[in-house]
Amino acid sequence: MNPTTHPNNAGIYAIACTMTHEAAAMERLCQVIRIRGFRIVQMAVDAAGENLNIALTLEGTRPIAMLKTQLEKLHTVGEVVLQAPMAKTKTA
Amino acid sequence: MNGAQHILEAFHQHSINTVFGYPGGCIMPLYDALVDDVDVEHVLCRHEQACALAADGYARASGELGVCIATSGPGATNLITGVANAHRDSIPMLVITGQVPSGLIGTDAFQETDVLGMTLGIVKHSYLVESADELPAIMEEAIELAQSGRPGPVWIDIPKDVLLTEAQALPSKPTTSIETSAPDLFTAIDMLRAARKPLLYSGGGISLAHAEEAFRQFAAASGLPSVVTLKGIGNGGKRDPNHLGMLGMHGSRAANRAVDECDLLLVIGARLDDRATGKLDTFAPNARIIHIDADAAEINKLKAADLSLRGDLTSILYGLTGELKKHPLAIEEWRKQCRTWHATGGFNTADNEEPLAPITGPAFVRQLSRIAPDDTIIACDVGQHQMWVAQYYQFDHPRHHLSSGGLGTMGFGLPAAIGAQFANPASTVINVAGDGSFMMNAQELATIRRYNLPLKLIILDNQCLGMVRQQQELFYNNRESHIDLNDNPDFVAMARAFDIPALHIERTDQIRRGIETILAYDGPMLLHVAIAREENVWPIVKPGASNREMIDESQRTRKANKEHVA
Ligand SMILES: Cc1ncc(C[n+]2csc(CCOP(=O)(O)OP(=O)(O)O)c2C)c(N)n1
Ligand SMILES: [Mg+2]
Repeated sequence: MNPTTHPNNAGIYAIACTMTHEAAAMERLCQVIRIRGFRIVQMAVDAAGENLNIALTLEGTRPIAMLKTQLEKLHTVGEVVLQAPMAKTKTA
Repeated sequence: MNGAQHILEAFHQHSINTVFGYPGGCIMPLYDALVDDVDVEHVLCRHEQACALAADGYARASGELGVCIATSGPGATNLITGVANAHRDSIPMLVITGQVPSGLIGTDAFQETDVLGMTLGIVKHSYLVESADELPAIMEEAIELAQSGRPGPVWIDIPKDVLLTEAQALPSKPTTSIETSAPDLFTAIDMLRAARKPLLYSGGGISLAHAEEAFRQFAAASGLPSVVTLKGIGNGGKRDPNHLGMLGMHGSRAANRAVDECDLLLVIGARLDDRATGKLDTFAPNARIIHIDADAAEINKLKAADLSLRGDLTSILYGLTGELKKHPLAIEEWRKQCRTWHATGGFNTADNEEPLAPITGPAFVRQLSRIAPDDTIIACDVGQHQMWVAQYYQFDHPRHHLSSGGLGTMGFGLPAAIGAQFANPASTVINVAGDGSFMMNAQELATIRRYNLPLKLIILDNQCLGMVRQQQELFYNNRESHIDLNDNPDFVAMARAFDIPALHIERTDQIRRGIETILAYDGPMLLHVAIAREENVWPIVKPGASNREMIDESQRTRKANKEHVA
């Protein structure tokens, strides 16, 4: 799934994630986010030694818990934290 | 040791003695190292897609890691379909490709493709090796990762200079696994005891987890009526009295009915795929769901589970079995009901007694099932013939049925059969192909001949892309579009051109002799079976429709089908 529109019922979520700073790390992460039905609204990446700290704001209509388990499955992803207070429904 | 020699060293350490590959420029250092290696048998297929599919077949049939090797650029891109196939069916596979030398990456060098980038979505994990020193640890990690938890393909892309550089082994990182705690097991038992109509639903996860024996003990101790997915076929063995067969789009009426009526569905090693569940809203509408799987991401993915147990399937199943042995379930009425459905709504159409009648797919497969030895491995291609095998062949073990489930890859069967034969040199291995699928990897006849594999090849030739024709007939007002294959080559002559003897049959009274002849022959042999073009797979659920809406032959008229299209 590759959403190109912003459906009215899309939720906004903030996620913090750490992963190993390996070749294609960011592509791997972004690919899963896209295919599992979310759009990246904001992204900040901070390289800290062998790791990447990534802060993401995402938008999508599917359950965010499903994306979380898919991201956690990635071998080089260490931790995925869902920052609940950000989540709200868009009313565009 | 250089990088290439470290790869072979890892193979030795992990008892990997068969690999499938095809050489070329950037992988040549590994092929050079292979010259001096007597412990690893390298099987040269005739197309890299076949290397990957053969490695897949090897892994499915043996339960061990499948390994394939190719060069950069076209070698790597040719592997992709086979690796995607393994990914979709969670097959443990190690993929090794050569890459252009490190300094040339990103310069559009000869045979450079961004393998890491283009394969991200079809691997469990992948590596671009940046230095020879990290290669030994990556090999260790990749071999472990491909086979642990939910298995899958792991791809290592290695620049040519890394293969040639002397390497110091760095230590690898340990991996961890997650177990289910005992209280969850007791909750599951309580839910099973509270249910009046509990049903067992198992998939390919049973054999992926090597949990076949634990599953059978659980099935016997629980006495649960059971259904399987395409990949779960054989889980319970062919003598399980409570087994109702495959569910889903081409499943049995009995299996789909039981799912529809059950009040508890115990899902083990299955991912509730749309071909199995049909329209999700109407799937198991009255049931509470217990979902047991190795992969946390499968739980609640498509259907919310009332209870989930994640971890090693064998220990979970033994845990449940222990409890049920002490106090069996009281579900005799429900069991009886399911057996009645099975007797009337299973796959048991009568044989055609008319000797001169044309051969039908179901009649042929039923005979094959009766005649072939119990430990026969059948590697299918994709289409109607694949479904007839799933419906009418009685499999005693899931590793005897090799079928491309998630990806549905035409051309899977022949190379998968090659892989299975290498894994089980003494077993009878049969490829059941359609005329369309056979042509997708027909070049592998040369591999069969080269290694003198005693494979049996069966083509169910309906002179068309039957599965597509069937859906065009039923769901597109019979508007046939590009499915005709009436200009197929002479398959018998084709086999003979590869020095493989072949036989043609077309009448019902020739089925037995045909099957017996190829099975008795000491070496590879092909049986070309002409079947009717108009034959359909019954029953069928329209893609996206509810499993309650099964269409069968009695509804073959245009009018009935139009109603279903609506
Ligand atoms: C590589 C690939 N291309 C296309 C398809 C779509 N497809 C599914 S079944 C089928 C027809 C298969 O024909 P054949 O092998 O003759 O089997 P039959 O259905 O006639 O038994 C096609 C084209 C596919 N599954 N795989
Ligand atoms: Mg065909």
